[in-house]
Amino acid sequence: MRTIIVLLIFCLAFVVTSVGQEKFATKTGEINFEASVPSFEEVKAENSNVSAVLEISTGNFAALALIKGFRFKVALMEEHFNENYIESSKYPKATFKGKIEDIDFSEFSGEQKFVIKGTFNLHGTDKYMEVPATISKKGEEMVVSAQFLLKPEEFNIKIPSIVSKKIADEVNVSAVFKLQKQ
Amino acid sequence: MKKKRFFLILIVLIALGGFMVYNYMYQDHRNIETETSQIEITAPYLLERFKTDDGSSLLNKTITVTGAITSIEEGAITLDESVYATFTENIPKVTANEKVAIKGRCIGYDELFEIVKLDQCTLIK
Repeated sequence: MRTIIVLLIFCLAFVVTSVGQEKFATKTGEINFEASVPSFEEVKAENSNVSAVLEISTGNFAALALIKGFRFKVALMEEHFNENYIESSKYPKATFKGKIEDIDFSEFSGEQKFVIKGTFNLHGTDKYMEVPATISKKGEEMVVSAQFLLKPEEFNIKIPSIVSKKIADEVNVSAVFKLQKQ
Repeated sequence: MKKKRFFLILIVLIALGGFMVYNYMYQDHRNIETETSQIEITAPYLLERFKTDDGSSLLNKTITVTGAITSIEEGAITLDESVYATFTENIPKVTANEKVAIKGRCIGYDELFEIVKLDQCTLIK
């Protein structure tokens, strides 16, 4: 009798964890950012190797971008970005860990707007943010997209005054994650 | 006559200076394909190095990674479930479980998937 109960608990635990672990993920999410100032050269980069995971049962959402994966049109700009501003050897990644609240994925269809509350970690600095996002479901694919502004100074990223005129104070970030069912 | 020559030299110098500044500002991107790789390493060992915090010296370096293909996606292949290599151009024809060597730029460790990522990869063999 006791063994049966133990076995039952074990089975139940297994079932619960496997249901709870239903998730959508991608390794090829895209993040673009732009900090251009009119009449100066465009400051723009793209990373199409961003990882993201969305856990259905909890609404937990996590994303991770490797800083070295951001590509600029101008090679020298990419070098300065990595070495002088974001210090990618010291801080090789940017992460976001958050939660999508008030969402019932079992009845989810079409396209809806949500707010993802969570913490950015960039340049070794944490910042809490509420990011408005759009989520749409197309078959087995879940698309999470968001647009928001980040300020370099909030992440302790110093931009020398000589170039500060050529780089916007607010960086326009847009992210698109096409998450596949795992 | 002397004045004319002076101006001529000045113009040549300015043009030369401008050319050099332009070349510096708009230098080409690195070409990972033609760079020689700094180290040859197996995929599981590369992952192990990043997991034990010993990988930062490999960041942004051109490296050669060997291993068996565990999955093939659009524009990317995974080696031994430890290294995720993305290709700029189309992936050469490969099959799962095939042993290959890949040259690419190491961009870091992805702790969400517990995988090391390379970009601008080319297939060596």
